[in-house]
Amino acid sequence: MKKLLSFIFLIVAGLSVNAQNPTFSPSIFNAEDQVTLTIDVTGTGMAGAVDAYIWIFSNPDLGGGADGVTNGSWGNSSDAAKMTAAGTNKWSFTFIGTTLFGQSPAQLKSFGFLVKKKDGSAQTPDYKPYFFDPLVFVPTMLRVFPAKVGADDVVTVNFDRTYGVTPNEQRMTPVSATVTVYDETGSQVGSPLTVSIRNTASTIWSASFIPSVSFTPGTGHKLAKFKYKFNGTVLDPSGASSNVSSSETEVVLTTMQ
Amino acid sequence: MKIVLKTGFWILAAGLLFAACTPEAKKDLGASRNILESLAGTWKLTKATQVDEDAAKKGFPFKELDITSLFPYTNFVLTLNLANGAPSTFSTTPGSSPKIIKLTSGNWAVDNAEYPKDITLTSGTTTEKVTLGGYPVGALTTLKLKAERKDASTGKLLISYSYEFAKQ
Repeated sequence: MKKLLSFIFLIVAGLSVNAQNPTFSPSIFNAEDQVTLTIDVTGTGMAGAVDAYIWIFSNPDLGGGADGVTNGSWGNSSDAAKMTAAGTNKWSFTFIGTTLFGQSPAQLKSFGFLVKKKDGSAQTPDYKPYFFDPLVFVPTMLRVFPAKVGADDVVTVNFDRTYGVTPNEQRMTPVSATVTVYDETGSQVGSPLTVSIRNTASTIWSASFIPSVSFTPGTGHKLAKFKYKFNGTVLDPSGASSNVSSSETEVVLTTMQ
Repeated sequence: MKIVLKTGFWILAAGLLFAACTPEAKKDLGASRNILESLAGTWKLTKATQVDEDAAKKGFPFKELDITSLFPYTNFVLTLNLANGAPSTFSTTPGSSPKIIKLTSGNWAVDNAEYPKDITLTSGTTTEKVTLGGYPVGALTTLKLKAERKDASTGKLLISYSYEFAKQ
C-alpha cells in the first residue's frame, strides 16, 4: 500500500513539475514580443550537460512550420542557438518569433523546441506546442469567445461550417457541443458536458457554459483546461441522417484576478 | 473731415467689440446632484454584456457578446444602503443567476463621495471592486457597473463585463 501511495505521489509530482516546465517571461507573448523561455532538463538526456543548444520549430503539427534560423544543422548547432545557463540543469533562450522563424504574425501560431548538445549526441524530448498570442485574426472552424477565458467566465464555443476541414465538417448541421474539462494534473473533471447550441449566423453555431458552474474539481485541484467539439448530423447518399462530430480542440484556462 | 470720420469709425468698432465681450449673467446651475443617494436602493439586473478587451484592442471582428439571455442574469438583485448619507451595507441575491458579485453581504465604499468611480464591496477580509459606468441621476435611471478580468500573472486586461440595473 505504501509503495502504491509513493508511486501515485511520484506520478502526481511528475505531472506537476511538467505543468510548470518550461516557463516563459512574459507568460503571454505574441509573435513580435521578445520572450525568454527557461527549461529544466532534469531527468532528460541533457541532464548534467555543460552546454546546451536549442532546436526550435514553428507550428508543430499544424502545417506551415519553419525551423528557427538559429538551428544550424543537427550535427553542428549554430552558435546563435546556444542557451544561457539559468541554474542547475536549467537553460534559457531569448527570441522574437517573427525574427527567429522568418514568418509573419499571421503565419505564426505556435512553436515547439528541444534542447540538445551541439553535435546532437544527446537531446531532450520535444516540448510543444506553445501558442503565440495572435496579432492577426485568423478565422477558424472552432473558435472560443473570449479568446482567453478563466474558470469563472462565460465561455462561448463556436463552430463555423465555412471553415470545416473534412467533408462531414463542411456538411454537418450541429445539434450540440461536448465539453470535457481537465484539472492541472491532466485528470478529467466529472463527465463530459453536452451543451445545447444556437444558430448565431448563417454558418455559425454557438454554445455557452461557465466552467466553474458546470464542473467541480477535486479538493486541492483547479480547472485548468477544456476540450470541445460539435456534434451534428449529415445526410448519407440514401437520404438517411447519420451522426457525426467535428474535430476537437483544447483551450487552456487563464488564471484571472 | 476724412480723418475725423475714420477715427470715429474705429472708436465705434472698438466699442462694439468691447460690448460683445461683456459676460452674460451667470445662470443658476440648480441643486448639486447627490450621486450617493442616487446609487442607494434595490437594483435588478436587466442587461449583461461581455467584452473581449484583447480582441477589441486588436480590432478583431468578434469583440462583444450580449449574454443576458444565455444565463438567468436578470434574477440578480443588488441592494446598496446608505447610513447618514454615506455608503453602509450591501447585499446581493443572485437567485439562479451567475454570481456576478460573489459576496452576498457586507459593506460598500466609494473612491470619491462626490464623483464616485469605483465601488469596493467588502465582507470580512474579502473585497470585490466594480467600476461605475454611469450614474442613475436626472433622466438616466439605469445603474451601470463594470467588472474587469485581468490575467493574474501579467495584469493584462482580458475581459470586461458590463451590467445594467433598473431600480426596483
